[in-house]
Amino acid sequence: MRHFTLGALFAAVLAVPAMAADYTIIAPANPGGGWDQTARTMQDVLQKEGISKSVQVQNVPGAGGTIGLAQFAEQHKGDPNALIIGGYVMVGAVLTNNSPVSLADVTPIARLTGEYEAIVVPAASPHQTMADLIAALKADPGAVSWAGGSAGGTDHIAVGLIAQAAGVDPTKINYIAYSGGGEALAAILGNQVTAGVSSLGEFQSQIEAGTMRLLAVSAPERIEGVDAPTLKEAGLDVDLQNWRMVAAAPGITDEQKAAITADIEKMAKSAGWQEQLASKGWSDTWLAGADFDAQLAEDTAATEQVLKSIGLVK
Amino acid sequence: MTDRPPPHTDPAPDPAERPPEPHVVHPSLFAVAAGLAVIGAVMLWDAGRLSGAAGYSNVGPAMFPRIIGGVLIGLAVWTAISTLRRDFPDPHPSAHGPILWVLAGLTAQLLLLKVAGFSIATGLLFALTARGFGKRNLAVTIPLGIAMAFVIWAVFSQVLMLNLPAGPLERLFFGAAP
Amino acid sequence: MSSFDFLLQGLAAAAQPMLLLYAFIGVLLGTMVGVLPGIGPALTVALLLPVTYGLDPAGSLIMFAGIYYGGMYGGSTTSILLNTPGESASIITALEGNRMARNGRGGPALATAAIGSFIAGLIATLLLAFLAPYIVRMALVFGPREYFALMVLAFVTVSSAFGDSTLRGLTSLFLGLALGCIGIDQLTGQARLSFGFPDLLDGVDVTTLAVGMFAVGEALFVAGQHALDRDQVLPVKGSIWMSRRDWARSWKPWLRGTAIGFPIGAMPAGGAEIGTFLSYSAEKRLTKHPEEFGNGAIEGVAGPEAANNASAAGTLVPLLTLGLPTTATAAIMLAGFQQFGLQPGPLLFATNPTLVWSLIASLLIANLMLVVLNLPLIGLWVKLLTIPKPWLYAGILMFATLGTIGTNPSSFELGMLMGFGLIGYLMRMFHYPVAPIVVGLILGPMAEQQLRRALSISQGDWSVLVQSPVAAVLLTLAALGLIVPLVLRAMGKGQVLQAVAADED
Repeated sequence: MRHFTLGALFAAVLAVPAMAADYTIIAPANPGGGWDQTARTMQDVLQKEGISKSVQVQNVPGAGGTIGLAQFAEQHKGDPNALIIGGYVMVGAVLTNNSPVSLADVTPIARLTGEYEAIVVPAASPHQTMADLIAALKADPGAVSWAGGSAGGTDHIAVGLIAQAAGVDPTKINYIAYSGGGEALAAILGNQVTAGVSSLGEFQSQIEAGTMRLLAVSAPERIEGVDAPTLKEAGLDVDLQNWRMVAAAPGITDEQKAAITADIEKMAKSAGWQEQLASKGWSDTWLAGADFDAQLAEDTAATEQVLKSIGLVK
Repeated sequence: MTDRPPPHTDPAPDPAERPPEPHVVHPSLFAVAAGLAVIGAVMLWDAGRLSGAAGYSNVGPAMFPRIIGGVLIGLAVWTAISTLRRDFPDPHPSAHGPILWVLAGLTAQLLLLKVAGFSIATGLLFALTARGFGKRNLAVTIPLGIAMAFVIWAVFSQVLMLNLPAGPLERLFFGAAP
Repeated sequence: MSSFDFLLQGLAAAAQPMLLLYAFIGVLLGTMVGVLPGIGPALTVALLLPVTYGLDPAGSLIMFAGIYYGGMYGGSTTSILLNTPGESASIITALEGNRMARNGRGGPALATAAIGSFIAGLIATLLLAFLAPYIVRMALVFGPREYFALMVLAFVTVSSAFGDSTLRGLTSLFLGLALGCIGIDQLTGQARLSFGFPDLLDGVDVTTLAVGMFAVGEALFVAGQHALDRDQVLPVKGSIWMSRRDWARSWKPWLRGTAIGFPIGAMPAGGAEIGTFLSYSAEKRLTKHPEEFGNGAIEGVAGPEAANNASAAGTLVPLLTLGLPTTATAAIMLAGFQQFGLQPGPLLFATNPTLVWSLIASLLIANLMLVVLNLPLIGLWVKLLTIPKPWLYAGILMFATLGTIGTNPSSFELGMLMGFGLIGYLMRMFHYPVAPIVVGLILGPMAEQQLRRALSISQGDWSVLVQSPVAAVLLTLAALGLIVPLVLRAMGKGQVLQAVAADED
């Protein structure tokens, strides 16, 4: 086995494969992030399942994905071999950055995965339930500091929605933006802030270890295996999913769109993809076609409204 | 930032005041001071248009740019004074021709990268840089540069899967890669 | 089974000939790609990670560790020999290392970097293995105000990289701080100094600035000097090995660098660069040969290189115990770990001891392999300096731009690289030190964000900045760092310091 792999390695180094790429996937973020991992997982599965002979991933980082999106819409117009990864964060980033190109300027194919937001407090926190936290928020919004990802991102929007649902002025929230869920995590563990908001996956291992207390999740229903109420159960009408999607270039024909959708659906239903989702802790939130278009429009409108009420979009 | 120094940015100091020192005041140093002042002013101007949304911290997004802009203007004044007092060392002498060749190489690569692909664009950068360092025979260095860049392209884009722009040359050998 | 038994078991498993060969290939590939100017460890690891995919878990883990250490070390090689660091953590190495190389002492500089990296890597990996859960608890004490105090201390230490003029050092630093303001303000989401360019919204990339300032700026400057025949580099003078005196001057900086770098690397928002700044400044203060600083002092290579490697192992502490990648390289490593089924988090050491210990054993073996491979290669690397200038610099620019094109294939980014190169050239012309501008870009945004976070949490109360003991101690150290040199200067020693401080260029 080892001899074989070593031989394969040398073969890979020596032989220069001369294959045309069937798909180029643009990951509008730096290597290592969620969108990049989604793109690379797709690359892996598309090739292994034999759906595509060769797939290339290209990183175009910047500004919540809007730079990649703008470049994609312009350079790949009508190109049926180009795909881009996107997500809910992009919806907000398009609005806050006044990006001239939005998700309406590409051809959304399908929603692939998603993660729900988790509201946590440090283990030493006096707040035992979501109701305790909300009571503190109502008493003095400034005294409740929330750690989460960048300003205007999913985490910030979640806090805005929670405040709104609790009847607190969303402009009064004391949101402490960190460069990502990870850095916020350190602040929560260190007891620097009152509460933390990020994707459930970022906090999962800490919650299991008992260093953080999970107060609520932003799912519409209870998540299997997660011992926490939904925000709705806690009396807050908030339901938010940080989803990731794949889109094709603008200006492709309906047949081309159908062919791409078929390929992506084949990938998403494959055993290889499901295995990858399980190992990465991503949930399958597959949604395509008219349902996805409707969901996208709904999310965009709701996001615009909440960003306006937080005061990030005028 | 400061480009090649324009000859008269600031009035030259009064010759009567000039102490008997071996070196003269370099006008380019005033251009450096002026450049710093301009950067400082731009920062102050930009900070002025930010909304003061300081939130609970009372320190808004404009405070740091204001401080940095102010200090840069202060440093510009200090540079000018230090130049007048001959405290600032003379700039290194430098030949301009070679610099322009290297810059031309970088520009050529920048402009040609998307059109002609990595190998041709980077090959030109190689040849023009070598020209800047005195290798004048472009008929040799351009093909040599393109050949080297092509090998680099092949290794990095085909073996290591790094996404590098392909042009006609790359497509000729590797088919219609993206 | 105790931790020690686990480690021995891991080492025994990793010491099979086949696995050693994989470690060797990993180190070799990592060094070869990492040594290319403009290609830093993050890109090296990202590029070579797929090479490990085809192997079985043990082989792939050890080859990965080799790539990681090889990439780290390759970066400092070009920094020392060609003054072209591929990433921010080896900028400080270039300060003294390149001076040594120009004086014909490239061999000892590379050797002290390699051995220092090895020793720092060894100690830090062992600390990681046995103390990670405790260290991370200490690191979590650091909140926004403590980080702000640490940044203030780092700012004070930057002055040791200023060269001979406070005016020019400060100017360079503040230009870096100005660059740091560009982009979306993280706390309010407002765009600053972007002038409507979407490419500027994410701010200036530190790697682009570092490669532009050093690799491109250096190439332009050398081109101008070359034509006037003013530029002399001795390939080798004397032995390429470290003399007894080099050893005597290196071992303490190695240990001090490790002691500084490891805890800072372990802090979730510390960053590898800051350890190198602090180590350089500490060596400059403690040295018995202050006259050599700025002219190629071996302590100035040994300390920061050890700090750099120790903090690289330190970043594994938050990565493994919290699942928190704190550097670009660590983020890519996290993706790498996941392919081995290793899920970092607080329970990792308890739930998955075999994998963790084989990772740690792999790191130790790769670290050893690095020094075994690279010490004999020093003679070869030093030969890089004998390549005729036209080919050498044409090649440097090729790879410097390859690194930029590969990470972000936009004309805008290449344009910035060229612009920074031109600024780097002008700064060298006018005797400005180039390291502070990069340092300013790194420290400025961190200091600003941490200060504003601290004040936001306290709802605008400035007194919290000194209310935590850790922050108070750090701020006191920073104040001493500012005041003591002034007092010394006033007492007349200033002239000596001034006279010995060397010209930056």
